[in-house]
Amino acid sequence: MERSIRKYALLNLAALVAIGIVAFIEARANNSMAGQVSTIFLGIGALVAAVSWFQMRLEENERLEKLEFDELTRSKGSSALFENKDTEGFPAQRSREQFERFFVPVFTALVLIAEAVSAFLLWRWFSNEQLLIEVKQPTILLSFFAAFALGLFIFGKFSSTFARLENHRLLRPGASWVLLGAYLCAIVALGTVGVLMGYPKADFYVAKILAALLALVALETLVNLILEIYRPRVKGKIARPLYESRLVGLLGQPEGLITTAAQALDYQFGFKVSDTWVYGFVEKYLGFILLLQLVALFLSTMMVFIEPGEQALIEHFGQRSKVVLGPGGHLKWPWPIDKVYRYRTEEIQSLIVGSQPDPATANQTTILWTTPHAKEENFVVANRDQSLLATNEVAATPAVSLLTVSIPVQFQITNLVDWVYQVESGTNLLDDIATREVTRYLAGADFNDIMSSERGAAADGLRERIQDAANANHLGIKIIFVGLQDIHPPMKVAADYEKVVGAEQTKFAAILDARADDIKTNALAGAAATNMIDVAEANSTKTVIAAYSKAALFTNQIPAYQAAPSIYLQRAYLQTFAQATANARKYVLLTTNTHDVLQFDLQTKVRDDLLQDVTLKK
Amino acid sequence: MKRNSLIVIVGAILVIIFAFWLCAFQVRTTEVAVVTTFGKATHPITEPGLKFKWPPPIQRVYRFDQRIQSSEFENKFREDLTADNNPLLTSVYIGWRISQPDVFLQRFPNGISEAEPQLAKLVSSTKSAVVGHHPLSDFVSANEGGSKFSAIEDEILAAVDEKLTNNNYGLEIKFLRFKKIGLPEATTEKVFARMTSERNVLISRAQNEGEAAAKNIRSDAELRASKILSAAQGEALRIQGQGEAEASKYLGVFQQEPQLASFLFRLDALQDSLKEKSTLIFDQQTGPFTLFGSDVMTNLLSK
Repeated sequence: MERSIRKYALLNLAALVAIGIVAFIEARANNSMAGQVSTIFLGIGALVAAVSWFQMRLEENERLEKLEFDELTRSKGSSALFENKDTEGFPAQRSREQFERFFVPVFTALVLIAEAVSAFLLWRWFSNEQLLIEVKQPTILLSFFAAFALGLFIFGKFSSTFARLENHRLLRPGASWVLLGAYLCAIVALGTVGVLMGYPKADFYVAKILAALLALVALETLVNLILEIYRPRVKGKIARPLYESRLVGLLGQPEGLITTAAQALDYQFGFKVSDTWVYGFVEKYLGFILLLQLVALFLSTMMVFIEPGEQALIEHFGQRSKVVLGPGGHLKWPWPIDKVYRYRTEEIQSLIVGSQPDPATANQTTILWTTPHAKEENFVVANRDQSLLATNEVAATPAVSLLTVSIPVQFQITNLVDWVYQVESGTNLLDDIATREVTRYLAGADFNDIMSSERGAAADGLRERIQDAANANHLGIKIIFVGLQDIHPPMKVAADYEKVVGAEQTKFAAILDARADDIKTNALAGAAATNMIDVAEANSTKTVIAAYSKAALFTNQIPAYQAAPSIYLQRAYLQTFAQATANARKYVLLTTNTHDVLQFDLQTKVRDDLLQDVTLKK
Repeated sequence: MKRNSLIVIVGAILVIIFAFWLCAFQVRTTEVAVVTTFGKATHPITEPGLKFKWPPPIQRVYRFDQRIQSSEFENKFREDLTADNNPLLTSVYIGWRISQPDVFLQRFPNGISEAEPQLAKLVSSTKSAVVGHHPLSDFVSANEGGSKFSAIEDEILAAVDEKLTNNNYGLEIKFLRFKKIGLPEATTEKVFARMTSERNVLISRAQNEGEAAAKNIRSDAELRASKILSAAQGEALRIQGQGEAEASKYLGVFQQEPQLASFLFRLDALQDSLKEKSTLIFDQQTGPFTLFGSDVMTNLLSK
């Protein structure tokens, strides 16, 4: 029996070494990071299996030595020679004891170092954000690792069952590592399935998980080493091998978890739940239930439901069907015979040519040329008008200007077959096409035209150009909208353009002011002319009437004068004198025989009352 | 026993699936494939569907995307010199596809990711050579005929195609287009300076045109006002003369008593001249102040 156990231990070791080497070569050749990490586990497992196998041999030698001793004791009888049970007389036992005392702790410490250093190096390797190695030939990789998983599982299951039945503690560590290796190979294969299904990072994530698991195993080994120092040594009690990991045992034999769970249920409910028919049924047919679920999962791939707004293409063994699936339920062959690829064809998609909007300024309510609102991207634009040059010597080099352009292009998929099967990346090509058409349009257009009168026509023209180019490349899309709302001079010169607008406004303001003055001047001149003529007419009329009335008065004055000429004259004089001088200041000099000098202050004096209530500011 | 049979059946099914997996493969409509036998490309596959092969390592399958590759491997500005010695930045994009999968695999064992940099070098070199044969006006021109983008693109494509055909890369270029053209940073600054100067010319023109127009308008307004006033003055004089003429009809009446008329006119003149505020100094010789003379009063009282 012991020989068989050693044989199985050797088989475990051989399986771990052989599969570990092949797995490493395969993973390395196909750039599988997860595969490479899994081989670290297989390597450590191989070391553990080798040591446990060696320890088995030591124990076997000890057992044989003991049998030999017992045989000799029985044949020779009790004698002093054989009564000496000192270890000197049992070299195999001594070797085993020395091995367990010195080699096993040192080996476990070395395993700990290997695990910890590996986990650390892997973590550093994976922390590189740029690290994403494309897995090559994932199908081959999947096949190999599935085969490794199957092979290791068969070996490991057999060994672990054997170890459990025979209660052989030294076969258990190797068997646990083999089983763990089987599960890890299966996980690597699952990661590869992820890669095959279009998730290229799946392998990377699996590798990260395995690295974390390695760190956990290292931690457990460390804890084991520390606890070993304080473990009470009871004579006769067989110790668990120090290098045996409970975590690996648990992971390698998950059915142990079920047993533990059953025990916990028994304890919690106070009766043997594990003895009920339900538990027995589940335990007995768990495999069938899982298999049934897998079959159900497989059959569920025969139905596909397309969401509203979506269309899907179906491929039969990779060959595309002519039917494009619309929204609703559809039947198909199961995966991997038929595969469905969905696309949101009703959705209006968009891309931006030129400056990409700056999220930091997305909330600005006013967008000015002179304030940053996008990551500026300038396009070369031609200048037809060189009339600003003073000389007739037009430069040989054409004048070019720069425009900051941010043009949204909205499109919709109209022919899904073309969109998917003609070009590897339709969106990228459309971006290239749209950028090219904008570049070409601006290179052949005049700067001033685009900024003014041609703006509307440019949007329509660009849309047509992009649509034509997309049709020529069979993109299967319809260009819905091309917006030219954000075309303007670069920020560096935008202020100068605004100044021109300001100068134009000043110009118009000056002209309008002059027009206002014009109106005022001419209106006042007209009024003055009218007034002048009116005054002239009034004066003329006045002159005529005055002449007439004076003549009439004079005619009547003649008889009075003729009646008393001197008296009439005197009276007329005095009446007129009195009226005329009524308001005049008068000085009458009555003395005639003196030579006095009289001084008159004829200066006009300000009236005193006008100066009242007037205060002078200092 | 029954349980073991089931396990054997399930195991057999799994083995068959596994064997099938190793020996069968699908080629999608979007793909072409090459089957290699002991490393030698033996079967190029260009039709999609379910295909069979020997399991690895006897035969292996290499798949490539057969659609037009529109990846932007040349999506970077490269500075070239035009025929008239102007530096010009250009970037191009190309659409290419694998035409001979077996040849492509031999030329580029690592697939498209390996082919793209090689193709980029080829296109970049050819593009620089072609750009050097054209003046800047072939790229940027708003004049009749416009820029010659398409012609230059065709020229580059023809040159690249020739090299590809001569060396059989196992791929073909479907199209080649300029994506963007630009100017180097230093030139851009100069263009900005020129654009600013251009604006200054326009600013100056607008300002001076405004002032000139305003002056013209004002001058014209004053001219017209002057004309209106002159005409009005003339008319006023005419009217005034007409009035004088009308009034002169009555002057004959005053001829009946010229002395009286003269006296009355003087009285009117006196009255008119004293309308404003005035100061008068009289002696007692002036009437009616003669009354202040003692002999006058005495004579009158004695009578």
